[in-house]
Amino acid sequence: MHPVKCRFLIIMNLLNNKITETMKKLLILLAAILMGGFSFGQVTISPSSFTAEDEITVTVDVSNSEIGKTLIGASEAYLWIFSNPDIGGGKDGITNGTWGSSSDAAKVTSLGNNKWQFKFTATAMFGQSPGELKTFGFLLKSKDGSKQTADLKPYTFDPLVFVPTMLRIFPAKVDADDVITLNFERTYGVTVDEKRMTPVSATVTMFDDAGNQVGQSLTINATKVNESIWSAAMIPTRSFTASAGKKLAKFRYKFNGTVLGTTGAPQVVSSSETEVTFTSLK
Amino acid sequence: MFLIVYVKTKKHTMKNFLILSIALITVLVFSCRPDTNGIVGEERSILSSLSGSWKLTKVTQTDEDAKRKGFPYQTMDLTSLFPYSEFQLTLNVASGAASNFTTTPGNSPKVISLTSGSWTVDDPAFPKNITLTSGNTTEVVTLGGYPVTGSEKLVLKKEKKDASGKVQVSYNYEFTKQ
Repeated sequence: MHPVKCRFLIIMNLLNNKITETMKKLLILLAAILMGGFSFGQVTISPSSFTAEDEITVTVDVSNSEIGKTLIGASEAYLWIFSNPDIGGGKDGITNGTWGSSSDAAKVTSLGNNKWQFKFTATAMFGQSPGELKTFGFLLKSKDGSKQTADLKPYTFDPLVFVPTMLRIFPAKVDADDVITLNFERTYGVTVDEKRMTPVSATVTMFDDAGNQVGQSLTINATKVNESIWSAAMIPTRSFTASAGKKLAKFRYKFNGTVLGTTGAPQVVSSSETEVTFTSLK
Repeated sequence: MFLIVYVKTKKHTMKNFLILSIALITVLVFSCRPDTNGIVGEERSILSSLSGSWKLTKVTQTDEDAKRKGFPYQTMDLTSLFPYSEFQLTLNVASGAASNFTTTPGNSPKVISLTSGSWTVDDPAFPKNITLTSGNTTEVVTLGGYPVTGSEKLVLKKEKKDASGKVQVSYNYEFTKQ
């Protein structure tokens, strides 16, 4: 059994023996209130920013049918966790067991009312180094796999070392009120066009918390910083206004520029696009 | 005979060492005294030095997480990226105490959201935080530097924290007295 999980279960057993069920619920409720958390829909992660070496507590509310699916109302649930979903280099959690028979170590704690909680440290859970771990995803399921929630992903680990990339924002964590500098670093381009292009602008597409595009895409002039870096700055709330009751939640951006074609004439090209989710900052 | 001479010599050496130690301790204990010089001239009023109209002349943004981790790209000068220089702050002092303030943002990005109201400081002698109040809304900015004699610069700092209380982004606003 995963040592963190084991420690947690031992503590919960002691609580079971020494205090009443009502007091246990009260303590869990208090702990949940006191913990600062990163909230992403029905999933709350504490602490809100974490590296692959930090122990994190994940609380999931599966009462929503889109998330809970067939697991709503279940009396027990098991964690099925995986690293780097959709980006490659991922592994299943060591506590997963098999789909038809989850291991006991994967059992998560019920907080009542369709809420479940578990703790883990990614490097131990996936047996991967912090450099290999970029994101994780998970779902909750019944032991035999006949019931499950939707896939909940991706949740991003803070890097422990600086990883240079072609597209990078400054600062790394921003909210919609911040000045955000979008950077294109040609050295780290992947395609031939990205390695050769001379950027002239960046295109930003904004989305609200319901996933709807906000307004038209914004094109910002790019400025050359040095021989391989171009940047473009924006303040989301100055350029985009979410509709009533909605807020700006994330944006996608890419750089546009030119490369010289075979005839020597410039051709318009664009880089790949990347997505940035706003962090709630106060 | 040789042994007696050796013991006497050793006793003598020990005695000298003891005297030297006592002398050294005495010098160390009694030589360190606080300066008796008082404040020369009139006590400086920092609150009064904050009073006046201030124009925003420099803005820097710091990625505090990158700074904590020692990553490259920690600070960026934003001054020329947006019309920050249009932002002006006026702090008024009445009877030696902080009274009211006004801000004129122009087309500058949001620096202080409030346009007018009252201001207070946490410590009138050595203020660290300025609290700006307008109705039920308050905004706290940290003083990053006093406009002391010879310097007409006022530096205000705003920090933005995530849900766990960790500072992720900070802005340094440098104002010049008008």
